[in-house]
Amino acid sequence: MEPITLLLVLVCIIIGGLLSSLAVHLMPVGGAPAAMATATGIATGCVMLMTGASVTGLFTASTVASFWATNPNVILVALSGAVGSMLMMGFTMFVGNLIYIFGAGIVPCSGRVAVDPITKESQTEYKTPRTDGHGVPTVSFVSGILGGFSGGFGGALIYVMLVSDSYAHFSVATAGIVAMGIFIANAIIAAYNIGGTIEGFHDPKFKARIRTGLTCSLIVSALCGVIVVIAMLTGTLVGGVM
Amino acid sequence: MGEEEAKQEEKEEKAKPKEEFKLSFDYFNESRLGIFALTIGVLMAIFPGLPAFIKGVGIMIVFAWGADSVRKTARYGLGTGVPSIGVLAMGFGIIGGITGIAVASLSFGTLVVGGVEIAFGVLAGVVLLALLGFVSGNLANGDKFINMKIPGLERGMMELGMAGTLAVLIETSIVAGTYDITRVLPSVIDNGVIAVIFIISAFGMLQPLNTCLGADERRGRTLLMSIEIGGIAGIILGIVTTLTLSAFEGVPLIVLGAVVWVVFYRAYMKACMEEAYAVKGTGLIKTLGG
Repeated sequence: MEPITLLLVLVCIIIGGLLSSLAVHLMPVGGAPAAMATATGIATGCVMLMTGASVTGLFTASTVASFWATNPNVILVALSGAVGSMLMMGFTMFVGNLIYIFGAGIVPCSGRVAVDPITKESQTEYKTPRTDGHGVPTVSFVSGILGGFSGGFGGALIYVMLVSDSYAHFSVATAGIVAMGIFIANAIIAAYNIGGTIEGFHDPKFKARIRTGLTCSLIVSALCGVIVVIAMLTGTLVGGVM
Repeated sequence: MGEEEAKQEEKEEKAKPKEEFKLSFDYFNESRLGIFALTIGVLMAIFPGLPAFIKGVGIMIVFAWGADSVRKTARYGLGTGVPSIGVLAMGFGIIGGITGIAVASLSFGTLVVGGVEIAFGVLAGVVLLALLGFVSGNLANGDKFINMKIPGLERGMMELGMAGTLAVLIETSIVAGTYDITRVLPSVIDNGVIAVIFIISAFGMLQPLNTCLGADERRGRTLLMSIEIGGIAGIILGIVTTLTLSAFEGVPLIVLGAVVWVVFYRAYMKACMEEAYAVKGTGLIKTLGG
């Protein structure tokens, strides 16, 4: 295999890893408190939310990649993965909000900022005392959609580099599952970095921790990339049977 | 003299009432279980020609090790759920497993000595993932990076990487019977069995601590459940093996899995009943005379 191909795959795995780490930091993650509507965000952990979004992205990406008999267009496939993840995040946040508003009877509001940076509406009056916000307010929704874009694009970029016959040329299933493995390894490091709940890009935590998260993600994705390149160098995975 | 001894015994029993189960993990403390499981796992992984039910015992031991590593990693509260740690182990495991299989499929990756296949190549995946786990543990714990200050996180993450990789490798060799990529691809990866392997192994590792987590969590009881899930995994893999290889390989694994499941489910339920202050049955599950 050409050294430049190996280098391109390595670089794309690192870019994909960085984008997925960024995505986890953008998610409105509420964890267990959000299940009782006492924290802003979706009621699950970072890794589970992000894995769900990325797997949806991989489904759309693999469908779009199958439109080409050979050499799928990298950017188009990666963008289609982003669209899949954005849809998944959008539905999750929308249905979550429906349940919060009409089921639990609470007003979505941010607990970390006094004024919503997008709608400029005041948040403090709507926040129940001794809680950390509720539901998914507008700014968190936008942040979640951006996170879906970034994570889906990153995951699908890794996938298309692994599946494309001009790069790694793995079989569809191998490429998908390896892309998911790299994605999860990055998501968990980002989740450690967040340490609990985050609301989105307006959260003070985001500014304070994003640099550490991206540095760690760079190292982890570089190592994952080297391992995948070793697997590519053996040449045994090339041209998998469909 | 008899009375004094009896009193002594009674005292000891009162001080440690939890140590009297027959199925106890007291001998296998964290380090011994790790070394034992690593040895057994590596042996099972490099001989893909072993019968499926022997490798079934191997996955149960590897699951127990993985569950122990999840317990080590997650008991301090990470700010992310216990399930994520099990999924992380398998995310690592998939990368390492596929790399290991790719290396083992090379001409020098597998030696054939007297008709017996010895796949040394898979160890490359185990070693690389130990390195990746150690580096990510250091990133999470190092004071220049995330600085979580969790004792033993580096070791926990390293063991998770190795246990996950070994689980994927052994299960792949159960289902495909070899590491030859031309047979692994159609019978494990391209038909989606790899997703089943991913989720049952993740469950074997994450579910024990996730269910038993709490103030009275006891290591021996938690590990009983991981072996029980190993039994369920044996049944599922046995069915898959019957379809991919032959009933001769698959049926003994199903039987082994069913026996292990029943025995360890009973042992786990008994341990729960005896260690609980009081048990009130709801009638939904038969309470085993408790």
